[in-house]
Amino acid sequence: MPSDTPYAETRFVHVLRKPLQLRGELHYGGAGVLGKRVDAPYRETTQIANDEVTVQREGKSARRFSLERAPELEALLESFSALLGGDAAALNRYFTLSLDRRDAAWRLTLTPRSHDLAKHLRELIVDGRDSAVRCVSLHEADGDASVMRMGAIADAKFADPPTASALDVLCRGADR
Amino acid sequence: MRAIALLIAWLAALAALAFVAQRTLVVSSDLRGFMPPAQNADQKLLLDQIGEGPASRLLMLAIEGGDNNAMRARLSRDLAHALQGDAHFARVLNGETDVAALDPKLLPYRFLLSPTLDTNRFDADYLRDQLQQRLEDLASPAASLIKPLLARDPTGEVLALVQRWTPAQTPRLCDSVWCDKSGNALLLVETHAAAFDPNAQSAAIDALRAALARLPGNGTVRLTISGPGYFSVVAAARTRAEAEWLSALGTAGFILLLLVAYRSPRLVALAALPIASGALAGIAATALVFGPIHGITLAFGFTLLGVAQEYPIRLFSHRRAGASAQASLAGVWPLLRLAIVSACIAYLAFYASGVAGLQQLATFTIAGLIVAGAATRWLLPAVLPVQFRDVADAHWLERFRLWLDALPPLRWLPWSVFALALGLIALAPTPLWQNDLAALTPLPPELLKREGELRAALGAPDVRYLLVLEASDADGVLGLSEQISAQVEKWIADGKVDDVELPSRYLPSLATQRARQAQLPDRATLAAALAQAQQGGEFASDLFTPFLDDVAAARALPPLTHAAFAAAPLGARLTAMLSKRDEHYLGLATLAGVHDPAALATIAQRTQGRVHLLDLKTASESLVASYRARIGAALLVALVLLALAVALAFRDLARAWHVIAPMSLATLAALAALRAGGVSLSLFHLVALTLAAGLGLHYALFFERRVDDAAEARRTLHATVVCVASAVLVFGLLATSSVPVLRAIGATVALGVAFHFCLSIVMARNARK
Repeated sequence: MPSDTPYAETRFVHVLRKPLQLRGELHYGGAGVLGKRVDAPYRETTQIANDEVTVQREGKSARRFSLERAPELEALLESFSALLGGDAAALNRYFTLSLDRRDAAWRLTLTPRSHDLAKHLRELIVDGRDSAVRCVSLHEADGDASVMRMGAIADAKFADPPTASALDVLCRGADR
Repeated sequence: MRAIALLIAWLAALAALAFVAQRTLVVSSDLRGFMPPAQNADQKLLLDQIGEGPASRLLMLAIEGGDNNAMRARLSRDLAHALQGDAHFARVLNGETDVAALDPKLLPYRFLLSPTLDTNRFDADYLRDQLQQRLEDLASPAASLIKPLLARDPTGEVLALVQRWTPAQTPRLCDSVWCDKSGNALLLVETHAAAFDPNAQSAAIDALRAALARLPGNGTVRLTISGPGYFSVVAAARTRAEAEWLSALGTAGFILLLLVAYRSPRLVALAALPIASGALAGIAATALVFGPIHGITLAFGFTLLGVAQEYPIRLFSHRRAGASAQASLAGVWPLLRLAIVSACIAYLAFYASGVAGLQQLATFTIAGLIVAGAATRWLLPAVLPVQFRDVADAHWLERFRLWLDALPPLRWLPWSVFALALGLIALAPTPLWQNDLAALTPLPPELLKREGELRAALGAPDVRYLLVLEASDADGVLGLSEQISAQVEKWIADGKVDDVELPSRYLPSLATQRARQAQLPDRATLAAALAQAQQGGEFASDLFTPFLDDVAAARALPPLTHAAFAAAPLGARLTAMLSKRDEHYLGLATLAGVHDPAALATIAQRTQGRVHLLDLKTASESLVASYRARIGAALLVALVLLALAVALAFRDLARAWHVIAPMSLATLAALAALRAGGVSLSLFHLVALTLAAGLGLHYALFFERRVDDAAEARRTLHATVVCVASAVLVFGLLATSSVPVLRAIGATVALGVAFHFCLSIVMARNARK
């Protein structure tokens, strides 16, 4: 079932002085088709379809590269599709899963099974409440991380720049 | 007693000769050895390409079956690892290592190799824009690709080079190795052996299969092999298998025929001795003169030596009561000797052709015929059993002789045959010549289908077309390659070709590298521009020091020559594309997916011929055509020599005409029959026609002989009937083959022999009435 969700992403990258903050919309177009639009601070559209990644930036010609050049990305895409499509078997193929529930809130931690994927990705954490996903957080093997807030909490206000712990508290949703 | 001793000595000599021949015989199967010298540059290149062309030496492999992708990928890795050290293979590719990766030692050269500096300067504006893009990259799915080299390469030259060096079509990856849509693991291996050397290819393929068989878990998978080299092995094996089966059947039929004709198993066994002696002598003589013998020489030589099978038959049929075997043979020996000598003189024409393969063939055949004839004359009669049955006593033979004698002269027949043959040849609907040798050993369609699938999945280069660039040195080739690269990109954009692998894709010319080097700013200028670009930016301030170091290093580097680049992972690729020939250099650019060869061929006009499209198929066909022209000329000269020899021996032009005319007309008639049947002629037909003519010469010579004794005439008739029956039987069987090349030889000889027999009766035997 195709769907669109607004998001706000905070990226902690060690070569940068402060975290990157992006805003935009995620698009899920069914198995294998994923889109990510960045609206701010710049405009960019990334499309993943037919095993090809296309990155289109304003005023620039599109750049394409095969998903096969980035196998870890392929696994990630498959798991995203599985997550959004509710396909637990497909998720299980790439990750070991552990679920932590606190009342209506839950946290699903996905740890890569394959060595290739683990070289890049330490874990993938999905936080949610009831049937809604609140955050998707990627923790990379080199210590960099990305936290993506989905839907309603995308607009939550933070100190600038937000800290990892403040984001974690928000994502867990234990404040209610 | 003396006969038995002689027989034992003869057999011992044959065994010794066979042993020596087997020990010293080196059979070469490289087709180039049998080809005529190249007449033009394209043919020369073709002969090299057959041996050295990287595209034709690629085998495409697919590992199918097994449990899952992971298992096939593991086998692919293990197989590649096992083949890496194997002497049969030049390289093994399975996608495991990224061939497009830049050698870390060459990293500072990236500014000279990448086209970035052709259009940009490393000033503050450019760097600011690049840094902003890297920032955006870090937030995109491409982050993991750029992060490792970000500090050294903020302008993204490494990724630009990877993109430039990656072929337009690369195979998919499953578990980090190449695979097709169904998840079968794919590999490319390059053999050292030439594609058209089936023996060497077969050894490489055996090594390949053996390597897979040693890997754990190989039992559940299937290995599919495809490519020109594999096809030559399949075609050779298929031809050999069918030839062996049909000749075994033919031999059995021949033995049965001799048993019926002479009622003596011992005679039949002895009949094999002269031809065995001839064959061994032929091998020995050829090996002595030339060293290694070509496989085709052996195959054609044994075919042509078939004439010698007649010698013992003549001896057996002409034995008569009250005379020793020697004395019986003495009556027909002058004719037999004339046949042998004139055939040998005719084959001298092959020797004069100047083609190594034909010279070997002539040596083999001449030595074989002389030894087989001498053995029949001086050895065979001495070992024959004393008891024999005079074939002249057979009643059917007398009836047949009387029937032949009663035939009307049929003087109109030769002229009608001549006119009809000319008419059929002139009106034949198909092309006269079959230039495509591959058509003679066609491959099963499913093999070709799989080849197409694998070639598409692997993006492997086209084996038919090449772009040839000529310049005075290697750097000149690279410069020429840069000149046409814009045109080539237009071709790709217009869909005329899928990909062209130009040498300058990997290494720019020295001039281009120097021009780019001159655009690199000095350290202080670059540091200032970088600081300006980073103002208020997100990146840590001293992050890009490695970038400053690399640019400083690149400014002082000597430009990269093709010799220095040869050590890089892609160096082997470039080396294979550049070759020195005489006093100049050639660059060979491989093409993938050629859709419009005519458009590509126009590049020759635009570059004053310095770049041209080489069509290997056309070049090979022209080579075969010139080869065939030489054989044709040799055959004509042979016929003239033959006529001269016969005329000289007879000292009577009318008698010589009675021998030569039926032989020539029958050859023409056989040709006409083939053409009327829609057959296009090839080398193999010519060789078969030559054999048939050699046999026909015997029929005409013996029928032309005047004998007043009816019994002796019956013996001649008997010998000829046995000879004709055996030739039609053996070659008629070959004509039923499913392999066109065997069918060509079989049908041509069988047809030819039938024509020679009938026309010899009318034009040599009955003409004197």
